[in-house]
Amino acid sequence: MTRTTASMPQGRLIKPPSLLEVEHITVRFGGVRALDDASLRVNTGEIVGLIGPNGAGKTTFFNCVSGVLKPDSGRVVFDGHELGDLPPHRRSRLGLARTFQNLQLFSGLTALENLMVAVDARSQRGMLADAFRTPLARLEERKAEERARAVLHFLHLSDRADTLAGDLPVGLQRRLDLGRALVGRPRVLLLDEPAAGLDTRETAELAELLLRVRDRFNVTMLLVDHDMALVMRVCDHIYVLDFGEMLTQGPPAQIRQDETVIRAYLGEAVV
Amino acid sequence: MAHLVLAAYRPELIPSFTVIGLVLGGVYALAAVGLVLIYRVSGVLNFAHGAVAMFATFTAYEVSTVQGHPGWMGALAAIVTGAALGFVIEWLTIRPLTGRPALVKVVVTIGWLLVLQTAAGLIWGATAYHRPVKLVSGSGFHLVGTDVTVGYDQLTTVVVALVFALAVAALLRYTTLGNAMRAVADNPETARLWGINVNRVTAASWMVGSAMAAVAGVLITPLIAFDTFSLTVVVINAFAAALFGRLSSLPLTVIGGFLLGMAQTYPRMFSGLSGTADLVTFVLVLGTLGILFRPGQRKVRVV
Amino acid sequence: MSPGLRRGFLAVVALVAIVWPALLSDFSRSLATDGLIFGLIVLSLVLLTGFVGQTSFCQYSFAAVGAFTVGSLVAGHHWSFWLAMPLGVTAAAVVGALVAIPALRLTGLFLTILTVAVALFFDRFVLAPGTWDSYSGGLSPWVVGRPAFLGVNLDTSYRFYLFVLGAFALCSLLVWNFRRGKTGRVLRAIRDAEIAASTLGINLTAWKLAAFATSAGLAGLAGSLLAVSVGSVSTGGYDFIHSLGVAAVATVMGVSSVASAAAGGLFLVYGPEILRRLHVSPQWFNLVTGALLIVQLIVTPDGMVTDVQHKLQHLLQHRAARRPARAGEVDLAVAETPAGARGEAAATRPVRTGGAQ
Repeated sequence: MTRTTASMPQGRLIKPPSLLEVEHITVRFGGVRALDDASLRVNTGEIVGLIGPNGAGKTTFFNCVSGVLKPDSGRVVFDGHELGDLPPHRRSRLGLARTFQNLQLFSGLTALENLMVAVDARSQRGMLADAFRTPLARLEERKAEERARAVLHFLHLSDRADTLAGDLPVGLQRRLDLGRALVGRPRVLLLDEPAAGLDTRETAELAELLLRVRDRFNVTMLLVDHDMALVMRVCDHIYVLDFGEMLTQGPPAQIRQDETVIRAYLGEAVV
Repeated sequence: MAHLVLAAYRPELIPSFTVIGLVLGGVYALAAVGLVLIYRVSGVLNFAHGAVAMFATFTAYEVSTVQGHPGWMGALAAIVTGAALGFVIEWLTIRPLTGRPALVKVVVTIGWLLVLQTAAGLIWGATAYHRPVKLVSGSGFHLVGTDVTVGYDQLTTVVVALVFALAVAALLRYTTLGNAMRAVADNPETARLWGINVNRVTAASWMVGSAMAAVAGVLITPLIAFDTFSLTVVVINAFAAALFGRLSSLPLTVIGGFLLGMAQTYPRMFSGLSGTADLVTFVLVLGTLGILFRPGQRKVRVV
Repeated sequence: MSPGLRRGFLAVVALVAIVWPALLSDFSRSLATDGLIFGLIVLSLVLLTGFVGQTSFCQYSFAAVGAFTVGSLVAGHHWSFWLAMPLGVTAAAVVGALVAIPALRLTGLFLTILTVAVALFFDRFVLAPGTWDSYSGGLSPWVVGRPAFLGVNLDTSYRFYLFVLGAFALCSLLVWNFRRGKTGRVLRAIRDAEIAASTLGINLTAWKLAAFATSAGLAGLAGSLLAVSVGSVSTGGYDFIHSLGVAAVATVMGVSSVASAAAGGLFLVYGPEILRRLHVSPQWFNLVTGALLIVQLIVTPDGMVTDVQHKLQHLLQHRAARRPARAGEVDLAVAETPAGARGEAAATRPVRTGGAQ
């Protein structure tokens, strides 16, 4: 696979089929540059990793892609559409889903309802159909439940369908968060530190799960995490972010030996 | 909807209206500073602030107007009652809610608003007109070089309001209690680590803030239709001033108070409608809420 | 509660609600009628606060919009009630949506300030004596007569009671349908995690506006009915303290269930009446309400009716748990979770799982 360097995406003659392109994103918070001219590309079917020490700007980067945060400059292109000022819910409808580092589950809803909401969000049905429980509403309701149950089954969460999300143990909450993003059948899934709070065994399980998810749901992924074991295990390609700038990029084997990456991480002693 | 009566507009009335606006503004500023003090130290926006002021003011009415004691004794009674109510509300109903969401505490103060309002109505009559609390006798004087009359009661109001505002500023800046209050306002946990008795400081802030509301209430009685509900509403107007100060800056709050006083007074030159002042307040509240309090950090798009 | 048990329970409640008032005096019956109307206002808060988690202290102002629309059209312009009522509901919904526009950016404390300001604004300006004079012809109230429903004149107190009961039941059913359908899930999702909801594709602005408008519309319906029940509409009836009182009672009863709506409404009407029977001035009622609100927030955070429901369900669950477990019914959840965590979760939040109260 040929790949141009992220810092100069123009001037290419042949475009590989990239599904998500982030170009020259800059975000300032007050005087601080949280992101400085950061670019990244994800091709269809890949799992791309974005790593970097704490405070490198990974979550900020994610917020820009999912539309929660508006960058000061730069653009996000998804499947040929420039996303511009599109609010999060519109991006989601184009096929962009995300999970959250701090989970953000709907804690007062059951596990099943958490997933059903994701189906609901895509349906056009309004309050009126609900109020009178029209045949359409009942049909959609049944379909939403079926789909949610299928995903619960895939994630081995079927026996927790009626448990409140807030009452689930953290490991299962992570899985539910992943499921909620998957129910809407997204084309690109943004995973924000999915291994946070998991132990070694759970992280290994997560890695297997993510690979299964890619095959089963045919989804392209962009993954942010500290956990090098996870990133090295699942990612096809890795970008390294440090102090808001893209330090380097490459396949896992190359990143593992990269001097600059090791130096950037030494301060944190994660590797 | 509203039918506006164009009262005869006469430019020569502007100075008199300015005086009224200033007096009103002084009262709002005083009440609002008390409100902000309580909010900053305890994190609770006290919706009962107006009702506390009203209840305290009616004790002044009881002491001086009904019983016939001098005005200053009435004012003293109001201050003591205000402080006592502030203490009781904090100690009895806010402190047990430590650790619960701020909104719950706010709703508790709305409960107090209902309680005090109803109680005052039962004791002193809900709608009856009351003779105001007179702090000074005599009518007033002409402003030199103009034909604008300034009432002694108006002068007293502005002076007392300013003195109290300055006194609180001095209290916050130069006393141990004031330092402790500012520390708690910044961060209660850190303050606790420094050995500050957070409970005591919080209670003190409620007492001082409520006493200020009481003073504001007493000062305004000669200027308004003096009944239990109007008085509560007048002090609720202080919310607009407090919002103008972003619920944190005392100087801005004072400015907000005077702005509100002016903004409420001038339109009366044009409109005979009784609700005009309230319309102004409402617009001010909407404006400050809309402009100053967007949730989330800069640029984070929530909606 | 099992579906069968719930159905039986509902049937008993419906039977009592229909038969019992027939045995009451005209006066008590009209109190029950007003109780159900106030119940509708509380129900509007179940939707707004219980689902979306937005506080509102100005529901009674929305009710006033409904009442005034009906009053002016029926008494002032001789419209039929059946044309005026939908218009009253619509007007209230529109005002609700207008309030919601600034409310969209505000949460918690600032939303509370806004709704209190709206309630006060209605008291001091919109409904102030004088504002409507040129329109309604002075201080004299509009007189609204009882309409006919499907050819049946609703002029007796029992017929009108049944009509209001029907309206309350219908609205409760609507809210209940919201609750178990997409609407309920989406709104509760917004309550729990706004940003996550929006990244799933939920249009926060549209849903919040819809919730506010629907809730205000329910309150407007209550106002329209109140105009007919009282028989007249005047500015004095919708003051600030009453607005706070209605919201306070809703909070005291708990805003998460339809049952608390009925209880809240009946309490609002029978409370002053009970005081009167005890030879205490009904003016004391708001004092009692305020005091109850304070005590309730300290003692039972979820509201009194909700609290009783939780305890009841807890009791029923315990009964169920005591039956011997059949093979295959072993709860895997128990095996996986640390015992302490589960015990705590069960103690603090016993029900809510099934969603329905």
